Amino acid sequence: MQLTAMLVDTYRELSSRRLFWLSLALSALVVLSFALVGINEEGVQILAWTLDIPFLNTRTIEAGEFYKLTFYGLGVRFWLGWLACLLALVSSAGLFPEMVAGGTVETLLARPVSRWRLYLFKFLGGLLFTALQVTVFCVASFLVIGIRGNAWEPGIFVAVPMVTVMYSYLFSVCALLGAWTRSGIAALLLTVLFWGFLFMLNVSEQMVNSFRLARLEEFAAIDRTMEKRRQKDPQADVSDLQAERDAGQEGWRKLDTAHRILLVAKTALPKTDETTALVQRWIVDAANLGAVAEETEESETPARRKGRGSFGTTRARESDVRKAIDQDMESRGVGWIVGTSLLFEALVLGLGCRHFARRDF
Amino acid sequence: MADPAIDLQSVRKTYGGGVHALRDAALRVERGEIFGLLGPNGAGKSTLVKVLLTVVRATQVNGTLLGRPIGQKAPLARVGYLPEHHRLPPYLTARQAVEFSGALSGVPRKDRRQRADGLLDRVGLSNWKDRRVSTFSKGMRQRAGLAAALVNDPELVFLDEPTDGVDPVGRKEIRDLLVGLRSEGRTVFLNSHLLSEAEQVCDRVAILLQGRVVREGRLIDLQREGSRQELVVRWYGPAQPLPGCEDAGAVDADASTRRYTLATLDAAAAQPALDAARRAGAVVISLTPVREGLESLFMKAVTDPVTGRALPPGAIA
Repeated sequence: MQLTAMLVDTYRELSSRRLFWLSLALSALVVLSFALVGINEEGVQILAWTLDIPFLNTRTIEAGEFYKLTFYGLGVRFWLGWLACLLALVSSAGLFPEMVAGGTVETLLARPVSRWRLYLFKFLGGLLFTALQVTVFCVASFLVIGIRGNAWEPGIFVAVPMVTVMYSYLFSVCALLGAWTRSGIAALLLTVLFWGFLFMLNVSEQMVNSFRLARLEEFAAIDRTMEKRRQKDPQADVSDLQAERDAGQEGWRKLDTAHRILLVAKTALPKTDETTALVQRWIVDAANLGAVAEETEESETPARRKGRGSFGTTRARESDVRKAIDQDMESRGVGWIVGTSLLFEALVLGLGCRHFARRDF
Repeated sequence: MADPAIDLQSVRKTYGGGVHALRDAALRVERGEIFGLLGPNGAGKSTLVKVLLTVVRATQVNGTLLGRPIGQKAPLARVGYLPEHHRLPPYLTARQAVEFSGALSGVPRKDRRQRADGLLDRVGLSNWKDRRVSTFSKGMRQRAGLAAALVNDPELVFLDEPTDGVDPVGRKEIRDLLVGLRSEGRTVFLNSHLLSEAEQVCDRVAILLQGRVVREGRLIDLQREGSRQELVVRWYGPAQPLPGCEDAGAVDADASTRRYTLATLDAAAAQPALDAARRAGAVVISLTPVREGLESLFMKAVTDPVTGRALPPGAIA
């Protein structure tokens, strides 16, 4: 009963703010713009205009798949993963400071409800904002993809729990800071800073990991070249290749050490980007777009296949490097991405509950 | 005899920096009475109420609230509370605010609306039930807060400065409401610095100073302690005390004004002094009973008898 009351009250509190409705209106606008974009045999169609794009038309990708990818790229990754979350944070950053404000907190605490329940109920109420926004967005997107792309894909609703879970990592931090500082602005600013730090950490880890994996591919390419030379002539001189390999080892070790440190930090912290990226992974799986990706890779020109050194490689093929990076990313399971992030969230929530439970008001 | 509503044997609360908000304060509130906790600002009144309601954690506390140890949450389902400077959620209507309060106290949904309607009528907000609290005046918010405090049909109601911001008519209505609550068998714990109001409605009071209860008892008993009769006589003799009057019970005599004070309200006990005055040839002008007001009691309690100055309300180690 108290949980329902808190959820309803939090919904009323959030919906009384203009930002709530502004956020919903912006969601509708994103879906509308999404609906206005189409794909035909020539390329991408926006209203009555067609942009001729040779590699993006119905001959390279089906309309339904195009919409699903657009849903993920524009809708989930950009809108829900960033802007909508930021709006949700702005809107709900004041929830906890207002809950602990003098004159309000006394009436809540003098009830037959434990403090940790009050804290958690309020937290869940705050998550309603995002869950509601994402649900509305997904329903609208589901209809657009179905009507415009003729693909009724219920799999896109996986975005609702995933984006809500991703937001919950940040909101747990925002809640703790709000209850601690009693200031919505301080809670918001510090949470956004924390989010920015997570983003930078993620980018750094992925960059270092990419270079590390590219270096491994480079070693493999050198090994293959040495093997080829030896097959042609068992007495062939491979000292130049061996020297090149040895020279790269030291750099690889440094990259590997740096990557381990970054990965440990990342393991302990919430993984916002990778959580939303799971939506892509599942939508791609559901839509069988892996095949499209393979085809795209096979259609590489010899020039593209040849190493261009995006990650400092000279011998490894670009596609091999990308494949190794993709495989490494996909090897990171849901348990590691979501599980460890939820552990962090549980820890932060625990700290928030403890602080709220022990504080005098 | 029924368990008391509150049996606080001892409570201590020390904040950081060695500020002693409560120092072994003790009090007892019987069921069905209006109890007034009085004290100057900073004496620890609100802290004491907050300790009883688990809003503030005591450093050490012994006692019971509605028969359960203080600090437990369960008895709070039978308690109503209107804090000082309370803020009802401004985005809710009066009805929603009262219903929300009821839900938090575990009142079943079907009862909440019915009770909210009845209570809002009772506090004079019949025409404002579906208006947002943010549009209310301070007095209206106070009334809505009272309704919210009563929605769980409490046995014990804590009201912290309930007439704060309310106009004289509203104050009278709130006093009547308190009396009505008592007649329904509820216990009312009134936290106030408005002595005149407390005097009008309270059965028992306690005066808190420097975190300790310095006076506690039935209001009528406390008033009796300082009450007296003043005997004024006319006598044309020398300006000296009338012979025999002091022996007859006069505790204070002002020979120049011929005013004698008798430390009792009992008319029979005044008769020997009257007789003594008549025997001495004086004419009795008046015999007036003078009851001690709560303000006078309060001032005595909070004033240093040596310096005559008000004692500081709080205590620092």
